[in-house]
Amino acid sequence: MNETFEPQIVAYCCNYCAYAAADLAGSMRLSYPSNVKVIQVPCTGRVDILYLLRAIEDGADGIYVAG
Amino acid sequence: MIVADRKSLDEIQEMIKDYKKILLVGCKGCVTVCNVGGMKEVQVLSSILKIARKKEGRELQVEERTIERQCDFEYVEQLRADCDRFDAILSMACGVGPQFLAEAFPSQKIYPALDTKFFGGAVQHGIWEERCAGCGTCVIHFYDSLCPIARCAKSLQHGPCGGSANGKCEISEDVDCIWDIIVRKKMEQERLEDLRTYRAFKDWRSARDGGPRKSIREELVQ
Amino acid sequence: MSDNGLKSGSNLEKILKAGHFAFTGECGPPKGANVEHLKEKFEHLRGIVDAVNITDNQTAVVRMSSTAASAIMVAQGLEPNFQMVCRDRNRLAIMADILGAYSLGIRNMLCLSGDHQQFGNHPEAKNVFDIDSMQLIALVKMMRDEGTFMNGEDIDVPPKLFIGAASNPFADPYEFRIYRLANKIDAGADFIQTQCIYNMERFRDFMKRAVDMGLAEKAYILAGVTPMKSTRMAQYMAKKVPGIDVPESLIKRLKGAVNGKQAEEGIRFAIEQIEEFKEMEGLAGVHLMAIEWEHKVPEIAERANMLPRPKID
Repeated sequence: MNETFEPQIVAYCCNYCAYAAADLAGSMRLSYPSNVKVIQVPCTGRVDILYLLRAIEDGADGIYVAG
Repeated sequence: MIVADRKSLDEIQEMIKDYKKILLVGCKGCVTVCNVGGMKEVQVLSSILKIARKKEGRELQVEERTIERQCDFEYVEQLRADCDRFDAILSMACGVGPQFLAEAFPSQKIYPALDTKFFGGAVQHGIWEERCAGCGTCVIHFYDSLCPIARCAKSLQHGPCGGSANGKCEISEDVDCIWDIIVRKKMEQERLEDLRTYRAFKDWRSARDGGPRKSIREELVQ
Repeated sequence: MSDNGLKSGSNLEKILKAGHFAFTGECGPPKGANVEHLKEKFEHLRGIVDAVNITDNQTAVVRMSSTAASAIMVAQGLEPNFQMVCRDRNRLAIMADILGAYSLGIRNMLCLSGDHQQFGNHPEAKNVFDIDSMQLIALVKMMRDEGTFMNGEDIDVPPKLFIGAASNPFADPYEFRIYRLANKIDAGADFIQTQCIYNMERFRDFMKRAVDMGLAEKAYILAGVTPMKSTRMAQYMAKKVPGIDVPESLIKRLKGAVNGKQAEEGIRFAIEQIEEFKEMEGLAGVHLMAIEWEHKVPEIAERANMLPRPKID
């Protein structure tokens, strides 16, 4: 792994808090790194082991569950 | 139900290491109920195997199918049209499943993804315990429907042995002494005299010891 | 029963029948074929005990077979009490080994279920348990008294064995232990050897029950004694060995002994026990299991006034 390695992170964000926060950050013109891919979920309770596995399978280096 | 555990990933990977395209078959019977070989577990194993193969820099194609029961040729037939498209079939059923698949598709290579353990039930979510040894001649009426053949580590018909302590079996503190439970129940019900009865030598012919078993129901045979 | 009124004619049977307070010892066969070492161990017991239990893969650790070690003992002029467990043999092997043992001059046999193989040095083994200890007792009795195999076929020269069984008054559930002993006697046990006793209070109660139920009249009961070698041994047995009851008071007593004198304190306790057992109603003898301490048996026997042993022709 070289020093310029930038992991691809998939962030599963709860509609009511983490996603709303990300949304608010957007309206405040705040930026976050482009290698974080936000996926809105109705609730983190909806996050299933398969979501995690499929993300890794499709090339994600890490997963972030926020809620 | 029949309770099974999934084999380790290493063991499964080793079995299928030469194949590029496999059919992963789940079963909607017992192994779905004990959360080890149903549709969900098929999806998870499929994903894990693909990730593991990717880490090796090789590709694995997995097709997922979950049929009603693998212990029934009627349902196994549903796989016939597709089965030749794969290098091998990995079964997520109990030990019966891969054998039925092997009998139905003699030219295909079939592998088991599970270790079949016992006949039992869930005592709490996520914990299953053995209850029956399938010995073929039920004797639990002697013991208030508690089976010492399956549940005593020594299958004693006249227990408890000298290793029973604090309600636990001598083999492990995690194992209940079934004889302790039998005796206490008889004492509570004031029927201890039942345990003064000598039980005859068991005829093990009806168990696996008598050779592979078969059950024929004449009225159903066509 | 044979003409002389004896079931087996073993020395142990004669001693008990004559009303003497019996004294049996124990010897584990070697973990190998070291016959010389085995014979040396026998010599510590010669003339000191009436019969010597020869253990059968005890604690599920592989050793020289109890049949072979018992036969060597017979050849050396001592009397074995041949132990057999149900863990390692099915009914064919059991009956064959009973006949074999008898043919080799063995006259006493202790019938056991056997420790689970998980304790031993081959925990991966498949166990057998075709029959249990209760049924083994009944089987030996059937072979001896009816002269038939389990299937009813006649035996050409039936094995005349003095049938022993084990009893553990300290395993659970305690209230049931006396009934299990009664069952073993009903099944055909001629003599009983108990698990090693440390909790004297509980054992006194157990024997009282045995006497009240008339069991002491139906079978000879021998009390099990294993001298403690150290406080560590006592603590290990208290915590790690299921079905052994070591009271805190005994551990304290051993701890209280001067350094290097703990073994002596253990022996003293054993001797006090033996003295009490001699007087205890219903007891017919003592079974001394000096584990890997055979050379101490003569001293213990001497100090407990168990010598000389009676000789009966």
